[in-house]
Amino acid sequence: MKTSTYLFKQGYENLKKHGSKTFTTMLIICATMIVLGIFLILVENVNKNVKTVTEGQGLQAFVSDDYLDDENIQQIARKLKDVENVKEVIYLDKDDAFEDAKSTLKEYAYLLDGLEKSNPFPASFIVKFDKLEGTEDVKETIETIDGIYKVGYNETILNAVMSVADIAKVAFFGIGTVMIVISIFIISNTIKLAVYSNKREIFIMRYIGATNKFIRRPFIVEGTLMGLGSAAISWVLVSLGYIAIYARLPKIGSTLGVFGFAPYSELWFVVLIAFILLGVILGMLGSSLAIKKYLKA
Amino acid sequence: MIEFKQVTKKYDHGVIALDNISLKIEKGEFVFLVGPSGSGKSTFLKLVIKEEDPTSGNININSRDLSKLKDKDVPYLRRKIGFVFQDFRLLYDKTVAENIIFALRVIEASEREIRTQLSSVIKQVGLEGKENSYPNQLSGGEQQRVALARALATRPPIIIADEPTGNLDAVTAKGIMDTLYEINTKGTTVVVVTHDQNIIRASNKRVIALDKGKIVSDTKTGGVM
Repeated sequence: MKTSTYLFKQGYENLKKHGSKTFTTMLIICATMIVLGIFLILVENVNKNVKTVTEGQGLQAFVSDDYLDDENIQQIARKLKDVENVKEVIYLDKDDAFEDAKSTLKEYAYLLDGLEKSNPFPASFIVKFDKLEGTEDVKETIETIDGIYKVGYNETILNAVMSVADIAKVAFFGIGTVMIVISIFIISNTIKLAVYSNKREIFIMRYIGATNKFIRRPFIVEGTLMGLGSAAISWVLVSLGYIAIYARLPKIGSTLGVFGFAPYSELWFVVLIAFILLGVILGMLGSSLAIKKYLKA
Repeated sequence: MIEFKQVTKKYDHGVIALDNISLKIEKGEFVFLVGPSGSGKSTFLKLVIKEEDPTSGNININSRDLSKLKDKDVPYLRRKIGFVFQDFRLLYDKTVAENIIFALRVIEASEREIRTQLSSVIKQVGLEGKENSYPNQLSGGEQQRVALARALATRPPIIIADEPTGNLDAVTAKGIMDTLYEINTKGTTVVVVTHDQNIIRASNKRVIALDKGKIVSDTKTGGVM
């Protein structure tokens, strides 16, 4: 048996030896992970909504009829592109605007009949953002450009999405931090039990000349196994839960202006990776804390 | 091999456990360390394995100045010193062989080394046939032999035995001492802490006597105190 196999086996044995305590600890880690998982899914959905809104909506800068010659249009386009956080600028001339209006009106397009010559729709630039934060600054900057007489965007949707995003992020970090600290403390206490029952072994090991690394490893393995086990259970539960309620949730992008949810096929990987990382980190930190005082030289 | 130069150890609570002692134990020597409780014997052992540091003075083990030894190197110092305790300190959920293998795993020995050393030390301490027994199936003398085998498994140049016969009857004690003498004849330095006057008288070894933290005698023959 190799040293690494031996250490792994020791870690597994410790887990088994304190079965009921291990089970309770894993339940608590699972609770932490599930709560964090729900927030993570919410944050991921918010990000996807933000992306959809940002890509779909952008901002529309209307051009005065006095600035419609090629030279002015090109100059305005250049200035728009130079504004920070602007990803893309698309020019819609008066004819495009007219066509756009017609397609928006669909079966009521006949209302525009006869207006082709006098075309009341202004030419405009559709300005798309890199990110949703700071769009107010972009708007203010664009308003100062010569030839732009009005700038508009769907502020209601943007503000609603942004406030959900802010709440989700604060909750994710706030509640997340508290739950992680509690989990580390609980894992650490469970591993302390294993450390305590192996006190004699640790004492002998130190006299024989075991390095701190060697003494620590089985407990790190034990903590990590607990973390990974909890990650697997939590992932299955969160996945089943989301899939079950997804059918009843509004879908992302299906109705403009309504917060929508993404299908689980777009989320499962992020959740899985987050749980695995969280499991490993919780397990390692918890066990390192538990064994610390036994590792003096 | 073991050298103390004007070593003083004063604990935080003010007790002076060792008071300016100097001594040298050469490679391959067999030494008894004697003295009443509180004479400084335990502190001496703790200083040798760097479980404690001296308040002043220098300690050299195998020509290495312990004051210059970093914390991370302490385990490697301890691998050079096999320790035998009065109460054996065996793992009771492991067999004789597993107790010995445990020591070899701790020093991260290879599988081959583990196999060779296991059979070699079992033979050396006379425990053939007991490999698969659990410690509580063995007599006190046999348990001490397991402890001795575990200490020898890592091939340390120094063996320190703290009251190795303290829990044993006279006959069994003699057996353990004979094994220690034999180990010594093969070149291992052996330091035995003991109260047992019979053992000291029966031997003709160097005896260092401590009292109140000072060396009160250091003689080449038995019969002190």
